[in-house]
Amino acid sequence: MRPSFFHHLHPPTIPAAQARWRYTLGAGGTAIFLMIILGVTGILEMFYYAPNPQDAALSVQTITYHVPLGWLVRNLHYWSAQLLLIVSAIHLLRVIFTAAYHRPRRFNYLLGLALFVLSILLDFTGYILRWDMDICWPLTTGTNLLKTIPWIGNFLFRVAIGGGEACSTALLRFYTWHIFGLTILVVILGFWHAFRVRRDGGIAVPPARLRADNTRISRNELVRREVLAVLIVGILLLLLSSFFPAPIAPAMTGKPSAVENARAPWFFLWVQQMLTWGDPFIFGVLIPLGVLALLTLIPYIFPKPNEAEIGSWFPKSNRLAQIVVSVIVILVIFLTLLSYAN
Amino acid sequence: MTNLSRRDFLKLARAGFLWLSGALTLGGLIRFLDFEPNPAPKTEFDLGPAANYPLPSRTLLADPPAVLWHTESGFSAMSLACTHLGCTLEDGADGFTCPCHASRFDADGRVTHGPAAQPLSALRIEMTDDNNLILHTD
Repeated sequence: MRPSFFHHLHPPTIPAAQARWRYTLGAGGTAIFLMIILGVTGILEMFYYAPNPQDAALSVQTITYHVPLGWLVRNLHYWSAQLLLIVSAIHLLRVIFTAAYHRPRRFNYLLGLALFVLSILLDFTGYILRWDMDICWPLTTGTNLLKTIPWIGNFLFRVAIGGGEACSTALLRFYTWHIFGLTILVVILGFWHAFRVRRDGGIAVPPARLRADNTRISRNELVRREVLAVLIVGILLLLLSSFFPAPIAPAMTGKPSAVENARAPWFFLWVQQMLTWGDPFIFGVLIPLGVLALLTLIPYIFPKPNEAEIGSWFPKSNRLAQIVVSVIVILVIFLTLLSYAN
Repeated sequence: MTNLSRRDFLKLARAGFLWLSGALTLGGLIRFLDFEPNPAPKTEFDLGPAANYPLPSRTLLADPPAVLWHTESGFSAMSLACTHLGCTLEDGADGFTCPCHASRFDADGRVTHGPAAQPLSALRIEMTDDNNLILHTD
């Protein structure tokens, strides 16, 4: 049989330790499944979505209320996107807390982190495409934040929205970034990331001589577990989509008044909370980029974990990285909750 | 330089051309995206006949977000776009509040609570010959 990408990811047998739920949490595979759902439902939405400021919000209403099963397509797209961020974050934390990011997986760690950042940008641009009353202030503050960056701020602002006023003109560029610019990067990096998993020796486990359990599972068993994960996540998605519709608000007609919802999408609430403290460049740009830089540097600045401990949760030799990342996670969650409380 | 063999020269030239075309493409892409197809935001707003704003009056304008006063000393106006990141301020009993990041300004536009650092800007009002009010935001 000619080897295919599928067989590259599913060799005839793999160590059982690489595919335990309590180790991998199935997070990486679930992220791939969610991306596929996002791609399919996204393409379906494109059949009705009108990317111009006059018709955009109305076309979203058409999808939601008139197109047969349109509500399901839109809700699936919405919930897959939100779950993707959560699952990617869990995947990232799993990799850090099990010290799986070290050589030879350093580069793949960076690919994964890039995919996470792209997913956040895709979620934000997709949220803006609703083009209803609720998106104007987050869009205004988000794009005005770009302007606060010294030297290149105004350039970035023009590249992002094409000049003019965000709430009346940004739609076409956000559409193109969402549908094409960012998506094509995710597709390329996503395939690369999955390819590298096997190329780097599969999911991180200690070398065979240090492994307590050397049993192996077959390709069929691996696929069986993947199908199980797909079924569980699929059911969860259908339940969420059926009972919790994606947010929608009246179409934007001119600048919304001050009393409209001024809350950023949930994954940026921690930044919005920090922005109440002062200088927008420091709190809205430097600190979030600093967090990203710290995550990027983790495989490079912390000592290489003990080989025998790779692939187990919270290994001793990796303590410092665990503490640093835990502090970041707790702060982000705390700021988010604080923002909800206000 | 005399030691540079033909093979090495061609290698160098190839690498040079590849880098050059990469740089040109990137530069071209940046120039391509750095164009503003959208008109610059309007800076002149026709507010209609001055008689619509009797003496004394205080009117909240929606677009552009601003407050317009008509007092003994004439017309004056102040922007209600937050100086922090541009959200429209809410009008309250003791001044203006930003719904986005909770900056507060007093009735005259001075910052009473951050994160905003700059006071609200006064806007120019112009009266045309036929008694129309024009608001300038530049």
